[in-house]
Amino acid sequence: MGIYAEPRFLPCGDLALSVEFADEISHEANARTLALEYLIQQKALSGITETVPTFRSLLVYYDPLIVGWDDLVASLRALCRQARPDVLPPARTVELPCCYGGELGFDLEAVAKQVGLSPDDVARLHASADYYVYFVGFTPGLPYMTGMSERLNIPRLAQPRVKTPAGSVSIGGEQCCIYSVESPGGFWVLGRTPVRLYDPSSPDPILLRAGDHVRFRMIDRAEYDAIETAAAEGRYRPRIERP
Amino acid sequence: MATLLVHDAGPQTTVQDLGRRGSLRVGVPPSGPVDRQAFVLANRLVGNADDAAGLEATLIGPRLEFADKRWVAVTGAAMPVTLNEATMPRWAAFEVEAGDVLRLGPAASGVRAYIAVSGGLDTPPALGSRATYLRGQMGGWQGRALRKGDELSLGPSVGGAPAEVRGSLIPDYTREPMVRVVPGPQDDRFTKRGLATLFEAPYEMTPHSDRMGARLRGARIEHTRGHDIISDGVALGGIQVVGDGQPIVLLVDRQSTGGYTKIGTVCSFDIGRVGQVKPGQRLSFKRVTVSEAHELLRAYRRELDDAIAFPS
Repeated sequence: MGIYAEPRFLPCGDLALSVEFADEISHEANARTLALEYLIQQKALSGITETVPTFRSLLVYYDPLIVGWDDLVASLRALCRQARPDVLPPARTVELPCCYGGELGFDLEAVAKQVGLSPDDVARLHASADYYVYFVGFTPGLPYMTGMSERLNIPRLAQPRVKTPAGSVSIGGEQCCIYSVESPGGFWVLGRTPVRLYDPSSPDPILLRAGDHVRFRMIDRAEYDAIETAAAEGRYRPRIERP
Repeated sequence: MATLLVHDAGPQTTVQDLGRRGSLRVGVPPSGPVDRQAFVLANRLVGNADDAAGLEATLIGPRLEFADKRWVAVTGAAMPVTLNEATMPRWAAFEVEAGDVLRLGPAASGVRAYIAVSGGLDTPPALGSRATYLRGQMGGWQGRALRKGDELSLGPSVGGAPAEVRGSLIPDYTREPMVRVVPGPQDDRFTKRGLATLFEAPYEMTPHSDRMGARLRGARIEHTRGHDIISDGVALGGIQVVGDGQPIVLLVDRQSTGGYTKIGTVCSFDIGRVGQVKPGQRLSFKRVTVSEAHELLRAYRRELDDAIAFPS
């Protein structure tokens, strides 16, 4: 386990390749991934059509009629040497209101029992952490995050749920994720945010980006309902700190 | 205003253009036509740019009424085409007048047919594209498949001319296709025998297939150690193999990332053909290297550029 001495270049058909930095989930591997993507954008590398960052690898789509495999790998290899966390612009912090427990956080009590804390303590512990977004994907706008206290580590559900509502703030293993659309899932739902992570009717439909930090603010049900109404009418903007 | 009125939509008819670019990094798939070749040829037949928006019909086509004079072309799955009850050719451009009703019947072979109209459909773009992303309720017409009574705006008509696709380029969807695959990115997570299995016997298309992925059934593909990986990006055509050892070919509405092993990736020029295999029909895989795939892609694009004949 760890960061490879040299990144691996894995073919993904005739139009894409994956640049893999590590066989682990770590901040270092992810920072290199995001830094490589940033450098590709900055240098506007010829022939690259799209990039998709994940935990420890960057999927690079290219047009082989503009740049062949050998030339592309050579330029990516050179960029990988410069792909250090310090090349990245400072990260944003996005504050998401979250209503814990009750019908919106229907697994809070079960989680509390399993980790041996009170439901309130679980909610407070979860809301007090600083979360890091490794990447956004699987469904539109869904953030893959870590950052919470080890005391909240809990194995994923033995039987995944068929439906988890959009906005569900949930945990599994050391990860925290927020369902962006209603979908099946194996995470424990602690609460729900009324903020829309994905709003297909908006000109800018996705809220979170790889590399963002997320903080949760505990809200009660009345505030949840108020924000949800405002969000539905396009009147709510979450707080975003830019350094 | 020039429109297209939907009399009957068929089971799943959507507005598509060549799809979104750059949105996978936030989890939004490109969408667009599953069979890009058939779609592009339909546009070229009516004098449109390749990325003009048209319709993708699934298994049974729609019934549509035109409000002005246009050129129209139907390609892809073999759905019988009629204009006011008169049989019309497929893979060829023809002219329609105001009040004409175009109808596509059930597909005799193939799954997806494409309808291009000169001037293209003028629905509101989302993230730079008119393509419909059904699961995300984005793009196309109100983010959904068409329904009876929908009225779609058309762009300004462009001049058309009689044109047809050369016969040698019209696929026979009744035949079992052989699609080319580059092994990877996780071919090393399969046994030598598992990798060989994929290329030995044909696989059958199952009914649980859609624009997201084509689920296949056949010989079990053997892993070395489990089917879970640290989630990574999923390329178009990625062949995901999960615990049951059965392959799923990921298509244009795929999830942007996934945590399952991908044994190989179907080449871009063969993806459309996968999308035309009916449930119960079979297809087989042929192994190629990256450089072979690039040679084939070059030849494919040359062929496509020379695909249309304009009778004088």
